[in-house]
Amino acid sequence: MTRATRASAVVGLIALCLALVAASLLIGTENLSLGRIIAEWRSGEPLSKTPALSILINQRLPRTLVALIVGCGLTLAGCSFQALLRNPLATPYTLGIDSFGAFGAYAATIYGGAGGWLTFQFLGFSHVQALAFAFSAFDVLLIYAMASRKTRMAPSVLLLAGVTLGLLASSGILFLRYLARPEQLINMDRWLMGGVDVIGYEPVITLFLGVTPCAIILLAQASKFDQLGFGEEMAAGRGVNVNRLQLTTFLVCSFMTGIIVSKVGPIGFVGLIVPHAVRTVTGSRHRILMPASLVAGGACLCLCDILARKLMTGETPIGIITSLIGAPFFLYLLTRRRFTDWET
Amino acid sequence: MTRTLQAEDVAFAYTPPVDVFTRVTAVVRSGEVTGLVGPNGSGKSTLLRVLAGLLRPREGKVLIDGRSSAHMSHRHRARILGFLPQMVNPVFSLTVFEVVCLGRYPHLGALGSTQPHDRVVAERCLRDTETLDLRDRDFMALSGGERQRVLLASVLAQEPDLLLLDEPTSALDIHHQIEIFALLKRLAGEGYGLGVVTHDLNLAARFCDQLLLLSHLSPRLVAMGKPEEVLTESLLSEAYDAPIRVCRHPLTGAPLITAEEPAEAKP
Repeated sequence: MTRATRASAVVGLIALCLALVAASLLIGTENLSLGRIIAEWRSGEPLSKTPALSILINQRLPRTLVALIVGCGLTLAGCSFQALLRNPLATPYTLGIDSFGAFGAYAATIYGGAGGWLTFQFLGFSHVQALAFAFSAFDVLLIYAMASRKTRMAPSVLLLAGVTLGLLASSGILFLRYLARPEQLINMDRWLMGGVDVIGYEPVITLFLGVTPCAIILLAQASKFDQLGFGEEMAAGRGVNVNRLQLTTFLVCSFMTGIIVSKVGPIGFVGLIVPHAVRTVTGSRHRILMPASLVAGGACLCLCDILARKLMTGETPIGIITSLIGAPFFLYLLTRRRFTDWET
Repeated sequence: MTRTLQAEDVAFAYTPPVDVFTRVTAVVRSGEVTGLVGPNGSGKSTLLRVLAGLLRPREGKVLIDGRSSAHMSHRHRARILGFLPQMVNPVFSLTVFEVVCLGRYPHLGALGSTQPHDRVVAERCLRDTETLDLRDRDFMALSGGERQRVLLASVLAQEPDLLLLDEPTSALDIHHQIEIFALLKRLAGEGYGLGVVTHDLNLAARFCDQLLLLSHLSPRLVAMGKPEEVLTESLLSEAYDAPIRVCRHPLTGAPLITAEEPAEAKP
């Protein structure tokens, strides 16, 4: 693919993203028209008297922003893990981060809640979110510890370890469900399905402050990820400090996904398929691939959120939608691309 | 620039206290092809990685022009020393030109964007390795010999003074083996210093200026010197712990080495 076609593909991607953001702002249980919003805005009335504008500002905008930030963050984490572990299946989700986060959230729901000993608020995090964050970060650090041992584990083995940890967390979740009271189960299960249906700007601000610096750090590693494409030794011979790159990527990704999972629950497949889909358009150089994936990831989750609102009357949990779209799409990609190129 | 890379009395252990080798001294000089030869498991590749600074010796020092290489930054070292591992395959599909541009990494700024000058260097390295006509091909679609030359071009794009190569001809047919070694010899003539691990004693005999012979029995250096001095029946038989015969190549006059068949065990 030539430079020009690639550039136009990137421009098209950005345009698509903007269109989806606009659609996400206007489409919902109640569709808003641009004319009505402008009219209400011009009237100068307070928000309580302008229903459309109120929905836009208090619900649609924060929700869209959360979808954007979460999509960007998860995709970038997926892209980084794929490069670091040289494996097409490496994502936060497959490494068990989401499952551990869910386990933390379940534990917090059981032992927190009304009168529980584990109830607290800290820096805008509830005990549920704090525990989800702590457990997902714990999972990544465990994998990093295995990766950085003296007898190094092969990337594919690490991935297997991640999947196993995910299974461990899943059985932990089952055990917690067994312990839980029936009325707690409803909240727990809803959390497990993921959702960006926030109201107000507090989660937007937390996510923005958490994800932005992580995204910048990861984007700055792009040329190092390129070097890893030929293996760790080749990269080290070229002057990349591979150990430092590993540490940085693991820490940053664990922090970022921890924040995301704690706020919106586990949302799978975005981090897996978006980088692969983008790679077929932009090629494999991370200096182009990563920013393009960032944009595409945000757009993708916006689209999923629109579907979440419109697919049925009422909400469909977004985690279900990403999996329902993502899994078949990934299978399609598998049949198209030669994944044998990857170190598996 | 004339450089000397030297390993001084180095010992290395993957899992201490089991040493792969101890008290080994090796030198790679500008203008010479130095061959690292020896049987499987003798630590040739490990020694090459110690020289490259990728593995840290348990004892002893690795010096570049008399200065310890352990204190250099990774990038600084990469501008002096190029390293090519055995059989590398990319994870991502890249064009030949992109592969060669990757070699510019130690010269790039913090954001890693290639400047026009970097692309000029990459073109030159393609020309030097006679791969310019492959420029826009997919790297994965190349033949083994073409890949090896392109990888060599990408290491040359680092603009190092010294090159360390791990079995650059192991997967190639007889014609491409000679082609690569002839290229290495030419690079040495242009002033590069090369350290090459190889299993092929006959190629080493023909193309190397210096040889290091390692043994696997008590892993250590058996001999160091010119090919005619190192490739003798007694030294080789000691290093390989097997009867080895040496004669003269009828065409090139270089030593011609062959192993004897093991004596059949009698019941």
